[in-house]
Parts: sequence; structure tokens; C-alpha cells
Amino acid sequence: MPGLIIDDIPVEVPAGTTVIEAARSVGIWIPHFCYHPALGSVGACRLCAVKLLDGPVKGIQMSCMLPVQEGMVVSTTDAEAQAMRRNVIEWLMINHPHDCPVCDEGGECTLQDYTIAGGHGLRRYDGKKRTYHNQELGPHIQHEMNRCIHCYRCVRFYQEQAGGTDFGVMGSGARVYFGRFKEGALDSPFSGNLVDVCPTGVFTDKTSRFRARYWDYDMAPSLCPGCSLGCNITPVARYRELLKIKARRNDGVNGWFICDRGRFGGREVNDPARPRAPRVDGVDVPWDQALDTFVLRLGELLATHGAGSLALVGSPRLPLEGQLLLARLAEIVSPGNVCWFTTAGEARGVLAALETLPPEGVASLADVRGAGCVVILGVDLLAEAPMMALAVRQAWRNGAKVYVMGISEWTFGSFLGISVTPVSSLDEVPPAERVKPVLIGNSRDLPSARVDEKLWGGARVALLQSGPNAVGAALLSVDHDGASLEELLASGRIKGVVAVEADIPGSWLAGIPFVAALDWRQTETVAVAQLLLPTTSWLEMDGTFINYEGRAQRFLKVMNPGIPLRGLDPTLHPPRIHRSVPPGGDLRPAWRLLAHLVERLGGRSPESPFTGRWERLRDLHPEGEGIMVYTHGSDSSEGGG
Amino acid sequence: MSVFKDMKAISQGMWITWKHLLRKPVTISYPEVKRTPPPRYRARIVLTRDPEGGERCVACYLCSAACPVDCISLQAAERDDGRRYAAWFRINFSRCIFCGLCAEACPTMAIQMTPDYELCTRDIMSLLYEKEDLLVDGCGNDPDYNFYRHSGIGLVNPRGGNQDENPPVDVRGLAP
Repeated sequence: MPGLIIDDIPVEVPAGTTVIEAARSVGIWIPHFCYHPALGSVGACRLCAVKLLDGPVKGIQMSCMLPVQEGMVVSTTDAEAQAMRRNVIEWLMINHPHDCPVCDEGGECTLQDYTIAGGHGLRRYDGKKRTYHNQELGPHIQHEMNRCIHCYRCVRFYQEQAGGTDFGVMGSGARVYFGRFKEGALDSPFSGNLVDVCPTGVFTDKTSRFRARYWDYDMAPSLCPGCSLGCNITPVARYRELLKIKARRNDGVNGWFICDRGRFGGREVNDPARPRAPRVDGVDVPWDQALDTFVLRLGELLATHGAGSLALVGSPRLPLEGQLLLARLAEIVSPGNVCWFTTAGEARGVLAALETLPPEGVASLADVRGAGCVVILGVDLLAEAPMMALAVRQAWRNGAKVYVMGISEWTFGSFLGISVTPVSSLDEVPPAERVKPVLIGNSRDLPSARVDEKLWGGARVALLQSGPNAVGAALLSVDHDGASLEELLASGRIKGVVAVEADIPGSWLAGIPFVAALDWRQTETVAVAQLLLPTTSWLEMDGTFINYEGRAQRFLKVMNPGIPLRGLDPTLHPPRIHRSVPPGGDLRPAWRLLAHLVERLGGRSPESPFTGRWERLRDLHPEGEGIMVYTHGSDSSEGGG
Repeated sequence: MSVFKDMKAISQGMWITWKHLLRKPVTISYPEVKRTPPPRYRARIVLTRDPEGGERCVACYLCSAACPVDCISLQAAERDDGRRYAAWFRINFSRCIFCGLCAEACPTMAIQMTPDYELCTRDIMSLLYEKEDLLVDGCGNDPDYNFYRHSGIGLVNPRGGNQDENPPVDVRGLAP
């Protein structure tokens, strides 16, 4: 552990750490463009200059390229280092097109920040600017090459991190160009991260082009509901409309990046056809009337058909708060008839997945990145959980062997730019290769994920689940003996269904006299329900998801519910009448509705949905790595399994 | 001798009073008589056009960010040719304090202050000026300025066609 002094602060860091990282570890921020914690250093931008006053190296050095050595004395505030950084900024601005007012990066631009910080306000250079032609890079990414400062972050991400081959660097000298050989959409399923890594406006999000500025954004730490990995995101909204999604760092889960599906998906929240008013028999009614009707019809149903005739259905996409309140409502109106899964196969898979995990436990995405051997058991990771595929690529880059079973190794390998070995069974993986092994499967087809403890000792398993909160649903199913709606319906005594954000096929509900839906999506279930209580989407509420490994993470409310300004009836904006909620904004989270119904039906609703052993989730902070609520083996009772 | 002192004080005061009674008043009888404000007077805000007649406003949101009373709201959008413009632009003059920070912040010289101070109305809602009410035909100050002729993204001039730009580089060229 070499020790050095940075700005009079003694620092001790592991050998091989660079000075910029050592400074970061004690909270000293050295300006930089090309260095990125996930992408490493290249020394391309020359901005991170520091002066070494004493020790083995002396003089102005690039702090990102300099490994720490014993006895270094570093100054980031030395006049010479500051002058160097100021001049670097000035020369990076020589070819800049000065188009900040029409650039989407304006306001969140690192180049803008450092230009201000460097005090460069007046252009002294009177030569001509270099220009480039742009490329059409598909529907998601906008290219404006004139803004480029040649930090190489894009190509390092695209080729090294994501394994893409269709985007690279061309030209030489002052003509260095970042783009594709031919115009066309970027192939990589992680191309959206170019927007995040680019320190200026070369790559901007085309889907939110010219929509808003950073200082007007509605933002909050949130989670991606796209699959069961629980990647951390920062959604950006404005005027009640989701504009774009940015990656949020979580080293235990997604690291620094997210996939394109998560980034450019999730736009159902902007759907003008979303349910926004309570509906009884196809007619919009006020909230009081809808809730009265719900209680009345529920009472009638229970009086006519008995207590066992009502099924309460949650889903793996319902946040944990709603799932917990659903269990409480079931205790009051229909004990034993509560389920969190629709089909029997899904329920069996997720429940069995919890039970069959090896003692060493579940592989987090960080474990996959650090694995020595990865076996993929018949899951098309690029389609089901792309960030898992990116983690597999990082493992491969670190020297891990990758084996695939039951999928096309060519498609998988070529999309990620890695070499994979197809095997037909787990036994074919040479025992010598089984170092820090990780098996990746899907809970849907569990038998193939069953491993022989003796041969695969120490293996960690990652089993993808059916939804962002499937493990929460499974844990509650174990607690409350919940099975699946399919099994409940098969018993033939179900005469009423309350579906809370559940996707039930319309045909299943054909013969059911009472169907109530609580949902924010216009689903098949919502279409056939006689009674609809609209809820808020995950962007419009605080909530909790438990990801595939049993990690509980909190997401916060990003925006207020309501019809987005874009698409709103022009007579409603600007508002000529004063109202307390925006049009279509009178929505409540599902768990609040359920808590209200619990009270109406004679129960006592708790102040917080988290009681008993869930209590420790009450103050879960959205930043940080989350809390493991499920751990296999002896401490499972403590963990809440 | 305080009596003399008092008499002196009173007569001095009366002298000043009479002097001012006979003076020409500094006030005018508005609205019959109107003053011409100086050209840089800060009153009604307008959106100007560039010398070619295009809208100068690129909806960069700097005016609404600079506004200390939050009276400006707008929505940026993209025209078919890639030009950024304000789909709607609204100034609430019942809130505006005519501080001029928006005009100062405007990077394209679009938003400018005019000396037209007669904005009073009995209907407060009519003080909500939409883009149609704000946009004028003319350049106002800086009559020769067109933002796009100085920012190098090739919208009015072709790419690399501005005065301070070289033509786009050939990235496949082999010359040093």
C-alpha cells in the first residue's frame, strides 16, 4: 500500500491505483474528460494535470496515467497545474461550434462546466474551426460530431465494454472521427450509454430531443421495471411526461450502465389511453362512488357465494408495498385466496428457484462480473436481461470462460464480441475450469438449473425471474400459502377477482361475475373489468422492488401523475380555472387504495406497509446498494425468507 | 430672541413654497400628454426575427431560467429541417417585473425589451401573452445578427460554411 500526499492530505491506496483515483478516494475532484471509473484511463484529454512537488516523479503529470508511488507529493492547486488545465480547456474549445443554445447537453455538459471553471470566456484564437459531417445513427442516438473533444470515451465503451463492432474511430491527426463506417442504426443493445458517457453533446438522446433542460427536469433515484435485475436508473420527466432515462450507478447491481431496452422503453406511462379515472361498468365515475360500489359489490359477492369465492391477485410487477397490503386485504375478505402469480408454471418456477439455490447463494451482477467461469443455461440473455449479458462480457474480459447450453452460441457470442463454448450438459464443463463459477438460468425452466453440489461446489447461481418484484411476490406466496390464479380458478369456486396490477388473460375472466382491476396500464384485464380503480405508475410513487437475488431497493417518486402537457386538450393549458390536481392526476398508489379498502372493509390499516419482519425496509434509502431480504440457509428466518 | 428666529424660519419656508407654486410643474397630464421613454427603457418584451425573417428564438430555456419571478414558460420543439423553435412561448405580464434579465440571458438576441410601457388592462388574463402576441416582424437591436451564422451546426449555412469554419474534413483521406 503506497502512501502519498495529495494537497496536504496523506492517502494510502493499493498499488496500481492512479493518482486521480487516489484523490477521488479522499474527496478531491480532479477535472477530467477521458477518464471514467468504468472505462479506465487513456490520457487523451490532458485535463487532469497535477503537479508533483516531491517524490520519485516531479513536475506536471497526467493524474489519470500516473500510478501512485511511495512518497509522492501531489498538488492539484499549484499555479502551474491550474494554468495547464486552463490552457487545455481553451484549446479544446478552439473547434467547438458554440451552439450550446440548441444543444441538448447544455446544462448537463461537462465541457460547459469546465469551460466556466477554467475561466475561459473570450475566444483568443482567430483561425478557422474544423468541421465534420454527422451520421444518422438510428432512432435513439443523435450525432453532432462538431462538438467532439476526442476523449475516446464512446469508442472505449462501445468496443471494450459492450463488445460492439459497428462503431469506432476513424481518421488521423486533427481529423479523428467517431462513428460508423456507413450510416445506420447502432447494433449494440447498449448503445444508449454513449449518451451518458459522452462528456459533451456529440451523442444525445434523440427520443427526448429538444424537450427540456437539466434545471427543469423532474428527477429522482428510481429502478428499471423492465426485468428482474433491478438496474438503478434516473428517469427524467417534464410536464408530467417521461422524457428519457439515464443510468444511475450501483456497483452491486448494474455498475454505471443500463441496456437500451430499459433506457428507451417504459414509455407506457405517457400513454394517453392510460386509465386515469375510476370506471364502473364502462362509465367514468367520481372516486367516492367507485369505492362505494367496490365495497357494495364485494359484500354482495361474499354474501351470495361465501368467503372462498373471491380471489385477490397481485403480480410480479406490483411494488412490494402493494403486495403486502394485498395480503392484509385478503386476511379480511378472503383468507387463503390470495396469489401473486397468474400462471401456475410461473409461481412454481419462482418458488422453486428460492428453494433450490445453492448455499453459497445467488450471484449478483457484481459476482458475475468477477466470475472465473460462466455457464448460461438456455437463457437468451440479450433478450431477457441484457445487463446480465454485459456482466458476462466483463467476466470474459477478465479471463473467464463462458459456456452456453441450449442457445445459439454464435448469436450470443457475436453480439457481445466474446468467444463462447457450447456444451450440452453441465458435466461437459471441464472440472479444472470451474473456478469461481456462476450459473445463469431462468426460474421458468428450473430443472436445468439444478446443479450437483459435489461437482459444482462453490457455484453461485443467478436465476432470472418473471418481473421486477417477482421475489417479493414469491416470499409473500410462501408466507401466505399463495399459489397461482390458474390453480384457484381450476377449483371452480372463484366468482370474483380483484386484480392488482395483474395481467390476467381476458378469456380466463369471461365467466366471472365480479372483476375489479387496480392498474395504471391499459391491459386486457382492465378492458374486461367491470370496476376499474386507476393507480399511479412506478414513476409517480415511492416504492420497493426486490430483484432476482433478493435485494430490496427503493425507488422514489419522479413526477406528479396527470395527463402529459403534450397531448393535453389545448383548452386545458394554460389553466384558466384553478384546480388542486392536474387533469387526470387524481390517482393514488395501489397500496394506498388497498389500505383504504382495508379500512372500509373493517380492518385496521397500518401507517406504513412495512410491519413485522419487513420493518427494516421502512427507512431503506434509494441511494446505496439495497438490502438483501432473502438469504438462503440458516439465517433465512432473520432475512425474511 | 427666539421670536425673530421663528419669523425667519417661517418666512424662509414660505419663500420656498411660493417659489415652487410659480414654477412650471415637472409632472405631465398623462394620458393626454405622453412622454417618449429613452430607447433602452425596459417595458413590454418582444421576440424578434433574424435578418432573413426566421424566428430568432431557439427555445433554449435560458430566459425562463434567468427569470426571477418565473413568468416565462415555453416548450422547445424541432422543425422538419432540424431547427429548434418554441412550440409555445408564454410570458405572464401580470407577474413580470421588467428586470431585463431574460433579454440579458438570451444568446440569440431573440428576446428584447421595448419602451412600450402601456400594458394596463382590466382583464388580468389578457396579460398572458402567447407567442403570437410576442413575436414581431423585425430585428430590433443587432439587426445583422443571425445565431445560426455563428454556431457551427450547419443549419442556415451548409456544414462548414460559416465564415470562421473550414469545410468538413474527409475522414477517409490519407493526406497527413
